[in-house]
Amino acid sequence: MTTNIQVNRWDRRFRLSGVLSVAILLACCLSASAQTLERAKALSKAHDYDGANNAFKALIAANPRNAEDRVEWGNLFYERFNPGEAQNLYTEALGIDPKNAHALLGLAQLAADGYDGKANELAEQALASDPKLYQAHELMAKVALEDDNQQKATEQADAALAIEPTALTAIAVKASIDLLADKQSPWVAKINNRGEGYATVAHFYMINRRYEESIDYYRKAIAATPDLWAAHSQLGLNLMRLGREQEALKELSLAYDNHYRDAATANSLTLIDSYKKFDTFRTPTTILKLNKKEEDILRPYFQTELDKIIATYEKKYKYKLAGPVQVEVYPDHEDFAVRTMGMPGLGALGVTFNSVIAMDSPSGRAPGSFHWASTLWHEMSHVYVLNLTNDRVPRWFTEGLAVHEETAVSPDWGDRLSPDIINAIHEKKLLPVADIDRGFVHPTYPSQVIVSYYEAGKICDYISQRWGEGKLLDMIHEFAKNRPTVDVIKEQLGMEPAAFDKDFMAMIDKETASTVAGFNEWTKGVRELSQLTKDGKTDEVIAKGRAIEKLYPDYVEKANVYEFVADACLKKNDKACAMDELGRYSKIGGRDPDTVKEYAKLLEDAGKFKEAAAALERLNYIYPLDAELHERLGGLLLKNGDTKDAVREYQALVAMHPIDVAGSHYDLAKAYQANGQKDQAREEAISALEAAPDYRPAQKLLLEVTN
Amino acid sequence: MGCSLRIWPILVAGTLGALLAGQAFSATYILTVAGLGGEPDYEQRFTALATDIDKIMKTGGQTDRIVETLKGPDATRAKMEAALNRIAGQAKPADAFVLMMIGHGTFDGEEYKFNLPGPDISAPELAALLNRIPAGRQLVVDMTSASGGATAALKKDNRTIITATKSGTEKNATVFARFWVDALRDPAADTDKNETISALEAFTYADKKTAQFYTEQKHLATEHPQVDDQQHAAAFPLLKFGAATAAITDPAKRELAAKKDDIEGKIDALKYQKDLMAPDEYKRQLTALLIELARTQQELDK
Repeated sequence: MTTNIQVNRWDRRFRLSGVLSVAILLACCLSASAQTLERAKALSKAHDYDGANNAFKALIAANPRNAEDRVEWGNLFYERFNPGEAQNLYTEALGIDPKNAHALLGLAQLAADGYDGKANELAEQALASDPKLYQAHELMAKVALEDDNQQKATEQADAALAIEPTALTAIAVKASIDLLADKQSPWVAKINNRGEGYATVAHFYMINRRYEESIDYYRKAIAATPDLWAAHSQLGLNLMRLGREQEALKELSLAYDNHYRDAATANSLTLIDSYKKFDTFRTPTTILKLNKKEEDILRPYFQTELDKIIATYEKKYKYKLAGPVQVEVYPDHEDFAVRTMGMPGLGALGVTFNSVIAMDSPSGRAPGSFHWASTLWHEMSHVYVLNLTNDRVPRWFTEGLAVHEETAVSPDWGDRLSPDIINAIHEKKLLPVADIDRGFVHPTYPSQVIVSYYEAGKICDYISQRWGEGKLLDMIHEFAKNRPTVDVIKEQLGMEPAAFDKDFMAMIDKETASTVAGFNEWTKGVRELSQLTKDGKTDEVIAKGRAIEKLYPDYVEKANVYEFVADACLKKNDKACAMDELGRYSKIGGRDPDTVKEYAKLLEDAGKFKEAAAALERLNYIYPLDAELHERLGGLLLKNGDTKDAVREYQALVAMHPIDVAGSHYDLAKAYQANGQKDQAREEAISALEAAPDYRPAQKLLLEVTN
Repeated sequence: MGCSLRIWPILVAGTLGALLAGQAFSATYILTVAGLGGEPDYEQRFTALATDIDKIMKTGGQTDRIVETLKGPDATRAKMEAALNRIAGQAKPADAFVLMMIGHGTFDGEEYKFNLPGPDISAPELAALLNRIPAGRQLVVDMTSASGGATAALKKDNRTIITATKSGTEKNATVFARFWVDALRDPAADTDKNETISALEAFTYADKKTAQFYTEQKHLATEHPQVDDQQHAAAFPLLKFGAATAAITDPAKRELAAKKDDIEGKIDALKYQKDLMAPDEYKRQLTALLIELARTQQELDK
């Protein structure tokens, strides 16, 4: 588990705790109050942050209505990685002086750091208060370039330079625009060996997933300004992203030891330290990093899936990766989250850095909430697209293609149409294809990243349906030439982006019309269904449920209609009815392990062993850390004569160290015996009997396989 | 736990065998009480669990079990006292007694109370009633919230106490009871495959499943089940199935049975030495003994 307690040791309590000492300080130093701001800054520069904090307290106590002092104090908190306290102080400053430009700029900076869409609005307000505040133009230039809006970025950078010709961030933004387009830039020289300028360029390479170039520029930043610890930290993070842990450790440690202790630096160091809990498994094409506590269970499933993905994508993308792909699987979601810190968008389940994938383990999430195989196919698609394009691909396209790939494997994979997406379609919030990247980088409403994933995926589905799957590969090759979305759409699809948007939106409207139109009715219906269930009106539940499930068939989360209906069927002891309902639930993508296991049991009871095994097989892609699943699936596979897969399942069962140790080894022994692996069967029978020497079935089997 | 488990089979295996054999003519009194739910959901859940236990305990045609279950409005203090007094009047020293309590419990820092419709019953009051029961082997399974707060008051020689929580301060509703019931009907709980689920096996099963529940749900565990005496719990047969207790009456097979006991003893001794031996040598000796045991059993089964 990683925390940022240490880095955020300053908080409001810390500020208030010094109230008494402030009075003493005031009594002693009234005459020195005019110099306090300078003293505070000097103390901060000398890394005496507690001293600086006390100096600010004294300053505020002496001048409680001075907004600028609060802004400066806020800046100190901002620099010391406490955005919460910084925000409070900027807000307090605005309470005193509502148009304080520096406070507004501070808030804009905080919003920009969090890739919050409000950054621009706040920077505009700052400029309205102080038109000469060139830093606000610089901030807007950075935000615009993060959105890949080069025109606006150029305009804002020029505006900053018109006020202050040496404005470093503006110069770096202009240099970045050229460099990202693979052009030589006269603006690089104008950075004039100032480390922060190179670091800004490096940031833009990172945002665009061009990690090697980002690393190069962070190295330049450090060469120019060796004590630029933020650059050391960022260099370390980028090295870590590419799997170069030793050098990453060196840079991160250097930053940390020199007081640069933001959450990303501290938590990344903790994470590197935790790698001793992992084992690494290599094949010529893969490097799989698994936590020791679950490697025996997960490795066969992950390795099999990785090999399958590589074989599929090599054909599909007509491309062979130059080196092995590294997959890191984190059982602790917080460890995984460290890998995405400081990056835009939603690294919710997995993240890809060129040929390195970091993802949640199935054990990192509640059972049923995460489809690990779908995530792996998604991230592996990124690996191919990033390698094919040398990282020159817009975010929307690589994400869209990855989402498209999820459902290409199996229609029940991938994410379902969520209420947030239905709402976005209803309110016409989907973005034009030319602007969709902004939905990922600077969302303007809370669910916009999720909505953008959906939209990008649907765009790729639509292109595949209308122009053929090969068109997506053609587009990849065009993007590899560093061409913008608008040009690629025009040339490859033969239409203007606006015309594409019109056709695409028409397709979406048609596909989702009944769900969008019926959403309110469905919501009301689910509430009624819940009440009917409580009232025990099973026939009404079945009739009502079947009527409303058609309105929103994609909904398979908690309180879904399928389970209401299936439960009602079972209350009537109508197993066929329940089986039919849960069959639809499974087919549409229902993932709750208990519900799917119930479905499999109904199938098994009905003698449909192959279907029952298939139903349980789905769960291996969702939550394989379930002893009961492997035991039941192993039994079904054995019954179906699929002895090889039965061995796999019982191996997983043994690896889970279940309560019934003897039983699990015996099951595996049986599967080995059925699969013709006599020696292995004998070994497992001995293991079973070691746990329970009088276990007669195991004794019998041991004698059968012993000469 | 690991250490004591490695040792106890040697120490008590013989005792357990004697107990199992000796129990053929003794009775086991089983009282299950589902306390006050407080709200419909809990009421339904507690009643269902008690009903399941009742059904499991009455299945199998074992005539040595006297099963009584109090649930819903019947689970009052007066009826619970009456049931315990009745058992106190009937049970003999050779008998066994099991009390299973499902529901909510409270602990005020000093005294634990089991919540019942009407007046609750405190741990000392319950202990006084239990102390009147002459059954020589007693098992109390208190599966309520705060049940750990009852242990001190209920503790007595020859009485094994299992609780859903570590102390009286774990006050959230528990899930342990659900997995305890699962243990009673899942053959997997019989880890030594002797066709008997001991109190320790049921506890271990429910304990692991409880921990797994909190891990999977990503919730902080608010209950930590406890057993106060593992050796006694291991020797307390809770549920028997199959032909586990069938006594060997054929004189011709007594020699084989003795041989089997001897081999089992050697296996226990070998397992105890495992950490001190070279793995290959351990495996060789173990395999030889297990094959010999299997062949002996095969002869016995003829």
